[in-house]
Amino acid sequence: MLKINPPEKWIETGLFMAAVVSAVAIVSILLLLIYFCLPLFSGNGLSRVFSWRWQPIDGQFGILPMCAGSLALSILALGIAFPPAIGICTLVHVLSRGVFARIVLILTHFMTGIPTVIYGFVSVFVLVPRIRSLSEAGTGFSLLTAAITLAILILPTIVLVCYTRLEQLDPVLRLASAAMGFTPIQQMRHVLMPAATKGVAAAAILGLGRAMGDTLISLMLAGNAAQFPGSLFTSFRSLTAHIGLVVATDSQSLAYQSVFAAGLVLFLLVAALNLIIRKTDNRITANAFLRVQETRHEQNF
Amino acid sequence: MKTDTRYRWILYFTVAMMVVAASSGMVSAASVDSFAGMEGTISIAGGTAHIPVMNDAAKAVMTAHPKIRITVEGGGSGIGVQKVGEGLVDIGNTGRPLSKEEIAKYGLQSYAFALDGVAVVIHPENPVSGLSAQQVRDIFAGSVTNWKEVGGKDGAIHLFTRDEASGTREVFWGNLLNKGAIASSANVVASNGAMKVAVAQDKAAIGYAGIGHVDKSVKAVILDGVMPSQENAMNGTYPVTRKLYMNTKGEPGKLVKTFIDYILGPEGTALSQKHGYLPLQ
Amino acid sequence: MNRISDRILVGLTWLSGIGMCMVVTGLLLFLIFHGIRQITPALFFGDTPWLKAITGQSPVFDGIWPAVTGTVLLVFLSSAIAVPVGVASGIYLAAYASSRQRAFWGSMVDLLSGTPSIVMGLFGFTMILFLRKTVNPTAQTGLFLAAVCIALLILPYLIRTSQAAIAGISTHLRLIGPAAGFSKWQNIRHVLLPLASRGILSGIILAVGRASEDTAVILLTGVVAQTGIPRNIWDKFEALPFRIYYLAAEHRNATELEQGFAVALVLLFLTGFLFAIAFLLNRYAENRWRIRRYQ
Repeated sequence: MLKINPPEKWIETGLFMAAVVSAVAIVSILLLLIYFCLPLFSGNGLSRVFSWRWQPIDGQFGILPMCAGSLALSILALGIAFPPAIGICTLVHVLSRGVFARIVLILTHFMTGIPTVIYGFVSVFVLVPRIRSLSEAGTGFSLLTAAITLAILILPTIVLVCYTRLEQLDPVLRLASAAMGFTPIQQMRHVLMPAATKGVAAAAILGLGRAMGDTLISLMLAGNAAQFPGSLFTSFRSLTAHIGLVVATDSQSLAYQSVFAAGLVLFLLVAALNLIIRKTDNRITANAFLRVQETRHEQNF
Repeated sequence: MKTDTRYRWILYFTVAMMVVAASSGMVSAASVDSFAGMEGTISIAGGTAHIPVMNDAAKAVMTAHPKIRITVEGGGSGIGVQKVGEGLVDIGNTGRPLSKEEIAKYGLQSYAFALDGVAVVIHPENPVSGLSAQQVRDIFAGSVTNWKEVGGKDGAIHLFTRDEASGTREVFWGNLLNKGAIASSANVVASNGAMKVAVAQDKAAIGYAGIGHVDKSVKAVILDGVMPSQENAMNGTYPVTRKLYMNTKGEPGKLVKTFIDYILGPEGTALSQKHGYLPLQ
Repeated sequence: MNRISDRILVGLTWLSGIGMCMVVTGLLLFLIFHGIRQITPALFFGDTPWLKAITGQSPVFDGIWPAVTGTVLLVFLSSAIAVPVGVASGIYLAAYASSRQRAFWGSMVDLLSGTPSIVMGLFGFTMILFLRKTVNPTAQTGLFLAAVCIALLILPYLIRTSQAAIAGISTHLRLIGPAAGFSKWQNIRHVLLPLASRGILSGIILAVGRASEDTAVILLTGVVAQTGIPRNIWDKFEALPFRIYYLAAEHRNATELEQGFAVALVLLFLTGFLFAIAFLLNRYAENRWRIRRYQ
């Protein structure tokens, strides 16, 4: 019936080559970034780029304020997104398993597909004027504005990963705790959440990484002033926005090289987060949706 | 004496001949018709003040001659210099004259086509209408932070500045701020258009933009008693001015040259005027 | 005491659920309210007759048609690059790799999926700089470069969905092929892939959605504000998300701003549509498998 026997070895080699592509890509991204950072290592380039002042007209090219900006932004966004994310997980996992939970879950999935630029665009006209009227000192383009918008962006990621981990828990846990007379919310608080701590932590870190890597939100909403993010209402610049803003200035200056330094720092930060996720919970892959899908499939068998 | 007058007549005559020759040359090389039979691509990048003029010119030329393709990018003057210098685009626009180093490094040629002032802009509802140059310097340096200190309502001043690649920023910083500091708390926007939108949305904002970009959505501040208008920029009473340049690497090719002539010619001049710039003649 | 705190917590969870629904519907209504009036042929084609615009006879100005074609071409090219590689590598990880290999190559995939899109864009940009210094001094940013970078961006989605779809097939279905005397590849080709096809397809569609919305990558790899329809893959191009970004920052008047909202609606409609297909496919795949399980 099967006329031709395809050369199995060749096929396996071909598939293997495809699997290697990701690794090659990652390594070449890292190498190219390092290659373009090399000029910094001669002279005092490194100490000039890793300093606290960005004032190109005075020859000051420090990107540390941007590093601080990225960290502050992503941590704040996570802080805003995390509690409601856990709330939504609780809601759909134990409190309401009916139509409403279904709607919430579908909406959450849908949210992962809303283009980032749309969040930024709407926020410019909805959130910025409100934040501006909230604080006299700021222009509305601020840490808070960007963090709130970013929180909405990363919310579905956290919800979906958490939810997946909760669904993966042994159903016996829930039955036993219910038999002990725990109400649903008590089950969640005292049994399920503690049991899923690692997964929840991984979800949070995943959200942090997503927040740190986002460009459009901070570019459109943070104001881009190259200063330390001293308060919620100050304008600041993230590493990602710095790359977008400065990438094509004069190729001879340190300003230009600072872009590659920013790229490298960003890459290493996100890679470190990735490593932490793997250490925390090796059952989480780096994409919420896929994980959800995997579980669905697992449930079927 | 006699020879002097005769020489003068000869001189006059030659000048008149040159003007006629030049203007007739202009006419033939300056309308969209002069692109007849040409095809190819012109890529343009750089100064954001130029974009409205470049877009309209591109539209006129491409509509009449579909085989010609013109791409227009922004990015700022710095990007204009770099891209044209590296050969990434055919024309790099700058809103400032090129530095000696830039000309020497890349072998660039400049074509100035219009004059533009750089105005300090604020929100139309801001009661302040005039500032001294010193006040502007203090505001941008961050030493004056409340509108009350310069005769406005009590409230924080929101600073907006441009990105590192901006020619508008260099002109503003060099001619008005006398190369003084710009506070690092200033918000950064990436183009003249974006500056206008940002200032139009914030009642406490102050920024700066090419006069050609100023419309009723923002208010241009009277500087030391001089209204920032293109007329005052032309007659020299308004000090913060710059020319708008197109730059090419070496001699431009035929198509690019035709495009530059088109911008310099009457139709291009009309476009510049339409967008609020003064032609240089 | 505990009772009260429990009640408060229950209240808060409902609040967060309802809050999220309100944010999403608020966002949609806001866009529709501000943008729907501008969704007209003029939004797409400006003042060019639409037939001439679509056939490419005359260029379109002041319309988003070039941006639509730019985005479609970008998505098409990047999928053409990423889908074969992604699916093949998903198959390898699911069916060939030992568990140690799977962990190692899998961690590479995770690293890639964590890489911020602006870094991916920077990678493309540096690649061009590198090429210009070395083999090809005329290398330029453009559609092809952007497609390659976007392909890298969506590759992890494709790998993971394909891998998951194949790994999710139950053992007794997996054994059909070998039992019928199929070789390993024959089993994959004739049993596993058909079974996993819907899962893989939904992954592809999600990847397409991601490719159509990303702005940061193309910002550094060749998108421009005005250029018209790209004539070849080396050309600069326009794109919908960039158009939105551009209009947010520098609309010249109220109409252009409304157009921004309209473009956002168009893009949202596009990604929402893709999402719906992926979602339904996924559902369908589940049901099909469920039926088989009980047969």
